[in-house]
Amino acid sequence: MSTQTSLNFRANAAKAIKDAPLRASMRNAADTFGTRRTSAMSAVDFEALREKASAIRMKVLDNHAAYLEQFTTQATKAGATVHRAHDAAAANQIITQVLKNHGVRMAAKGKSMVSEETHLNEHLEKEGIEVVETDLGEYIIQLDGETPSHIIVPAIHKNRQQIGKLFADRLGVPYSEDPQVLTKIARKVLREKFLTADAGISGANFAIAESGSLVIVTNEGNGRMVTTVPPLHIAILSIEKILPSLKDLPTFIRLLPRSATGQAISTYVSIITGARKPGDATGAKELHIVLLDNGRSEILAGEMREMLKCIRCGACMNVCPVYRTVGGHSYGWTYPGPMGIVLTTLLTGLKKSHPLVDASTLCGACNEVCPVKIPLAELILKQRVNRVSEGLSPSKINIGMGLFQIATKSSFLFSLGERLANMFWPIMRMFGGKNVVGRLPHPAKTAFRRRFK
Amino acid sequence: MSANDTVSLFLENAAKVAAGTHRVENKDRLKDKVAAIVLKGVPVFCPQTTELENVVAALFDKLAPDYTSADASVEEVTAAIAETGSIVCASTGGKAVQSSLLPSHHVAIVPREKLFATLDDFFAAYATSPPTNITLITGPSRTADIELNLVIGVHGPERLDIIVV
Repeated sequence: MSTQTSLNFRANAAKAIKDAPLRASMRNAADTFGTRRTSAMSAVDFEALREKASAIRMKVLDNHAAYLEQFTTQATKAGATVHRAHDAAAANQIITQVLKNHGVRMAAKGKSMVSEETHLNEHLEKEGIEVVETDLGEYIIQLDGETPSHIIVPAIHKNRQQIGKLFADRLGVPYSEDPQVLTKIARKVLREKFLTADAGISGANFAIAESGSLVIVTNEGNGRMVTTVPPLHIAILSIEKILPSLKDLPTFIRLLPRSATGQAISTYVSIITGARKPGDATGAKELHIVLLDNGRSEILAGEMREMLKCIRCGACMNVCPVYRTVGGHSYGWTYPGPMGIVLTTLLTGLKKSHPLVDASTLCGACNEVCPVKIPLAELILKQRVNRVSEGLSPSKINIGMGLFQIATKSSFLFSLGERLANMFWPIMRMFGGKNVVGRLPHPAKTAFRRRFK
Repeated sequence: MSANDTVSLFLENAAKVAAGTHRVENKDRLKDKVAAIVLKGVPVFCPQTTELENVVAALFDKLAPDYTSADASVEEVTAAIAETGSIVCASTGGKAVQSSLLPSHHVAIVPREKLFATLDDFFAAYATSPPTNITLITGPSRTADIELNLVIGVHGPERLDIIVV
């Protein structure tokens, strides 16, 4: 299990940068997804689509309470039981209770980042309920006791040799490093799990207010298995994932897979409306929907609410020069990359995560690819301001920036500073440390602004 | 776009994501096509809830009683969408959507009048009172979770054939 925390971002990143196989994997993922995304987007009018998507998501956030209420009413009418969970502990408690009421010993689970946020698996295992991850990437990292490093391809930090060895060790199968062979092994092992699981647990990409439906977008088919094969289905999702109507879905189907993996559409888009009804041969007999707040209501009421437009495509990660260098684990919490910086600092509080706001060059590449037009760079900048106003920035920086501020207000002091910097540079290097001042070049003999006299 | 063009676009898009695509003129040709596609002797599930399904069911000497014990399933689907090359399986009329999921070979029969041009056209028809399950299926199941290598056939079908009638 990863013990890395967001507060240790710098140390985590420094360690990750020295990990050559990790960097190769991350580069491969970022380049491949980046290229595929660009080519897939060329088939559609991206600007028009994301304008529309952003407007729909904003409408949801502006009328969130009403849409959430409508979703709850409609889902209940369709035969689902809807639960509201204020925080992670409450969500885990609700799910445990439902599983225990049904005497569940083993649950098959589809991919859900929200359940990573609540540490659901850990909790259920403590309660004596076995949870089997069924997304191939999630299954791989579960076998190795790890957490996802990418929200779309969770095991991207592992290469085929590591996975081959892991399968040989844990599953007692002959070693292979052929992705085809390894995938078929997982198919066989997990098919058995789907058929014998007492319950299925899934996330959801969207919840539809008008019809009370859940929308789940997948490629492997495991999401379909866990939601239709076991008699009990529990879906956990966060409260912002609402769309007003199924009529809004096409826009998001056109954007989400293209942004995530460069596919024109994912292999499966499942729309689940309530539990199995009389005359149906499909659907879990009982469906429980757990809506997790975990701090989102506060974000919704604040000045950074646009973050909640996010549809978790991962496009901002693949283009981020920091993410592709340090990898997902360095961020120390569930969500990495630019969206992760904003969401982590908002959900866990700057006090527990403020070093993350430095994990950006503010180049704005994330803004350009975001399918719902979240101004990520601006939100990160805002969190930097908030870090200062909350008194969390390191005292060295505060003193330095304070002196700089005084100097910039006076032409005399600024000129003096320029000259002093030149004179005392060797001494500053001694005190400034090898990694900060030591890396900077010697100040120019003639200041830039003086060349234009 | 003419109806014919819509069918062509649909099949073109489905072929792009590794589905086998076929087009037949009538019921007799459908029978020939299904006989040619489905491996001889494997247990086949066919729900026999529509006329076309009844026509093809007669081809098989070994019909599986349900989708869990079948290697292949042959069924008429609820709809199809040209824009994305998707077929749609829905729970309407007591259909088990899982029959498009568990057997390793899925053969989808699409009557051409069930083809929608765009995602918007399809969802406009289903938005207000959708059945318990609607699944859009685009190509056989796939993953890229190991070093981003595409592998076809993970938990769902390893092979998908689509026949437009």
